[in-house]
Amino acid sequence: MFRLTIEKSLNHLINANNIDLTHIDNKIVSFRVDEIDLTLFFLCLNSRIFVIDNQQNKKVDVSVTLSKASFLAIFKGASLEELVENEEIEINGSVNTAQQLANLLSSSSIDIEELISQYAGDIVAHQIGQAFRQIKKASVGNDGSIINTIKDEITTALIAPSRSKIFKGRA
Amino acid sequence: MAKTTHFGYKEVDVEKKQGLVKGVFDSVAGKYDLMNDVMSMGTHRLWKNYTISSSNVKEGDHVLDIAGGTGDLAIKFRKKVGPEGKVILSDINGSMLLEGRKNLLNHGVIDVDFVQANAESLPFEDNTFDCVSIAFGLRNVTHKDAALKQMHRVLKKGGTLLILEFSKVENKTLEKIYDLYSFNLIPKFGEFFANDEDSYQYLAESIRKHPDQETLKNMVLDAGFEFCEYHNLTGGIVALHKAIKA
Repeated sequence: MFRLTIEKSLNHLINANNIDLTHIDNKIVSFRVDEIDLTLFFLCLNSRIFVIDNQQNKKVDVSVTLSKASFLAIFKGASLEELVENEEIEINGSVNTAQQLANLLSSSSIDIEELISQYAGDIVAHQIGQAFRQIKKASVGNDGSIINTIKDEITTALIAPSRSKIFKGRA
Repeated sequence: MAKTTHFGYKEVDVEKKQGLVKGVFDSVAGKYDLMNDVMSMGTHRLWKNYTISSSNVKEGDHVLDIAGGTGDLAIKFRKKVGPEGKVILSDINGSMLLEGRKNLLNHGVIDVDFVQANAESLPFEDNTFDCVSIAFGLRNVTHKDAALKQMHRVLKKGGTLLILEFSKVENKTLEKIYDLYSFNLIPKFGEFFANDEDSYQYLAESIRKHPDQETLKNMVLDAGFEFCEYHNLTGGIVALHKAIKA
């Protein structure tokens, strides 16, 4: 739903304003936001944008790696060149092509903060579910007591926090 | 020895499947919409709306709706493509096309073309359409690979293929409930509402014989599409495969 919302907003913008996409035609631009484990692949074909997951691993023309803050800044019109100069993002490929797409994103009416909070919420829910499954699985192997397993899990978590907790500490 | 294929859970000669499927749809055509509403408790409308939302279709586009039956998707596509666009509703089954024509007229839609065609040999030129859709039709096609290749052929570069179809339920508990529902209640609904238990028994069986999400995705890629991904709807009871010709 996350990708579909962005795709629909971009194409609405393109159609409503008759935006010419020839300069990014047949190109794939990716945006990778490590903090929230999000990668969006934008494919431009047939005068429209597709937001895909690129499971087929097609060659990407431009890849942009950035922080969540920089990603949000792009939607507010931040210049990629400035972000690169400030070492806030990394671009492999044509900055110009990436900027064309960034311009589209900033002109769209996407409420990216809301979308990201929903997406991040999904990740948290996924992590909770995963932890519960691990606890359930581990309890079968131990003495069968879920309480003891939860205690073990909490101890483990305190000794070796997960990646998401480390990121939270840094922020 | 004659080649066989499945018709529901039965193994039949390949050449006979098309006629048998025709028999099913000739029988259910008149009650098709009513039965869809009864069987899915109206959810099929949400699945179709999601399909339209995912289509990326815009004004001026050319759209082909294969196995379009009673025209649910064609009506919605017609609104999206505007006066400059074109929508073709195709179905192999004449009775279903007739129902589609009636349904569209009832909705005040007159500018949709109707073509009786087999999905395995589409009578359209290469690179014609911006979007090709097939909703709850692919599982009835005998040679799915051939049909997918045809869909790829008639799509323009950058065209989108949408396949809405019953699929593999993800959750085991839901799967059990769904099995109970589809093998026990659906045929009974068919008997009660359409006076035809056998056709609805076939529909339930044909769903189980249809390729699961990943298998279908690979078939789509094998047909020549560069990108394909699927979205499970209602826990995988239905999946929407969206593919792009690049």
